[in-house]
Amino acid sequence: MSYYKILIVEDDPVIREQLRLLLAGSGYQAQAVADVPAAIRQMESFGPHLVVLDIGLPGASGLELCAQIRSVSNAPVVFVTSSNNDLDELNSILLGGDAFITKPYNPAILLARIASLLRRAYPAAGEELLRWKGAVLHPESGKLEYQGRTVELTRNEQKILWYLFKHAGTICPRADLIDFLWDNQLYIDDNALSVHVSRIREKLNAIGLEGFIQTRHRQGYLI
Amino acid sequence: MKHWRDRLPAVVVNLLGLTALVLFLLAGGNGPGTVALVAAVWLGVLAAWLAGSCLLEKRRLKALLAQAEQLDERYLLAEILPPPATAEEAVYRRLMQMAEKSMLEQVGTAQRERREYREYIEQWIHEIKTPITAGKLLCENDRSPLSREMLAQLERITHYTEQALYYARSEHTEKDYLIREIRLADMVHGAIADNKYLLRQNRVEIMAEEMPGTICTDDKWVRFILDQLIGNAVKYRGPSPRLRFASEERPGQICLMVEDNGIGIPAADLPRVFEKGFTGQNGRAVHSSTGIGLYLCKRLCDKLGIGLEITSREGAGTAVRLIFTVNDYIAGAI
Repeated sequence: MSYYKILIVEDDPVIREQLRLLLAGSGYQAQAVADVPAAIRQMESFGPHLVVLDIGLPGASGLELCAQIRSVSNAPVVFVTSSNNDLDELNSILLGGDAFITKPYNPAILLARIASLLRRAYPAAGEELLRWKGAVLHPESGKLEYQGRTVELTRNEQKILWYLFKHAGTICPRADLIDFLWDNQLYIDDNALSVHVSRIREKLNAIGLEGFIQTRHRQGYLI
Repeated sequence: MKHWRDRLPAVVVNLLGLTALVLFLLAGGNGPGTVALVAAVWLGVLAAWLAGSCLLEKRRLKALLAQAEQLDERYLLAEILPPPATAEEAVYRRLMQMAEKSMLEQVGTAQRERREYREYIEQWIHEIKTPITAGKLLCENDRSPLSREMLAQLERITHYTEQALYYARSEHTEKDYLIREIRLADMVHGAIADNKYLLRQNRVEIMAEEMPGTICTDDKWVRFILDQLIGNAVKYRGPSPRLRFASEERPGQICLMVEDNGIGIPAADLPRVFEKGFTGQNGRAVHSSTGIGLYLCKRLCDKLGIGLEITSREGAGTAVRLIFTVNDYIAGAI
């Protein structure tokens, strides 16, 4: 999926490990360190594309580390802190931080922030197309193409198909799919999801993609 | 004339003295004319002294009272009084200063204890956020029906901790805000995302309409207010809960409406919902009512200059409107 490398600097062992797992699960190469000296070493040897930085580190503050990072790298820095006071936020911006997120954060929001910072810092050449079994999804123009025939998708249909394409070949549990849709501002329940999927199926049938989305009873959808 | 009464002993002594003198003079063979003259002079001087000193005293005390009226912290009165005129006043002055000193010490101790307690609460809240975050990440990495239920509970815990934090902080908000231009839609969707599992576990249907406006405010305070409103909508939900977010533009204002179809608030309770600790009829029915959420919302809105209106019909639902003033300066520049 993605080759981006992310460095996590976090002193709490559980958060450090779980955040690493979360990022690894989202297709990033993630490494996690607990303190400032290790972080500086990793900046050189690992060369991350983005740093997730806790402000309240033992010893030195994350803000100082940010200034040090800035002297060697232009990688975006996401600050994470449990003290939501505005002075820290202001300092983090002044020192070159790119985003400021307060604990307890919503993991989906953190991931969205990371993805958008990476997109901005490292603009990809052209549109990322998603392909599976001969069907091509154009996420930006909202079209699905199959054997020269295209169909227009609504924004909501696009979101559902994007998730299925990203997890092509695996069964997507309905609850996970709904989680994803909620994170993307489509607030639907189980029944509404079924309605949306059946509409997508009609559109797919019209361009000859029959049986593209399969329903696995009690498990979810599979393409 | 109370001052006159203070002079009563002196007047009585004078009259006794005068009587004694008159008797003595009469006994000494002085004519009644001379005696009457002496008595008249004595009485005249006495009356002049009485009137003059009463008048002066009255004026002085009036000035003191006026001075005290002007003072903001009246307990510091002993510091600004003019120098004592009599030995008795000097003693009273010392007594006042002793009382003032001991009271200042007491107030100082109380203030310090209060500040230390508040700082402890703030620190505690920052610390509790670490395990909450860890819990959220653990659940996120191992999604199952159980972990979703857990995430909903973690969101509730977050509501309560934030409430405590903002309660501890609400008295000095002026030191802690950062006004920025924020898209209304981003803020609302962020608040929904923060309450995703709570809303889903309770099968709340979300209707978020297009909200094109931009407002200038502090993101985290308004997010807190929205969190509390969402929390209330879940707590006081009806059988098939629905929560609608919509914005409405009025001249010079943008209004964000948060409307639910929950149990509503009885008309008799409605005027009092922003009072601290007020739980009303719904509070007796739903045991987790604290009477703090809406009170804090109102307080923060007042500090941030946001209008807060609530309308409700019992059994039909509640609508809360947050009214943001659009900055004239920005609007005027266009």
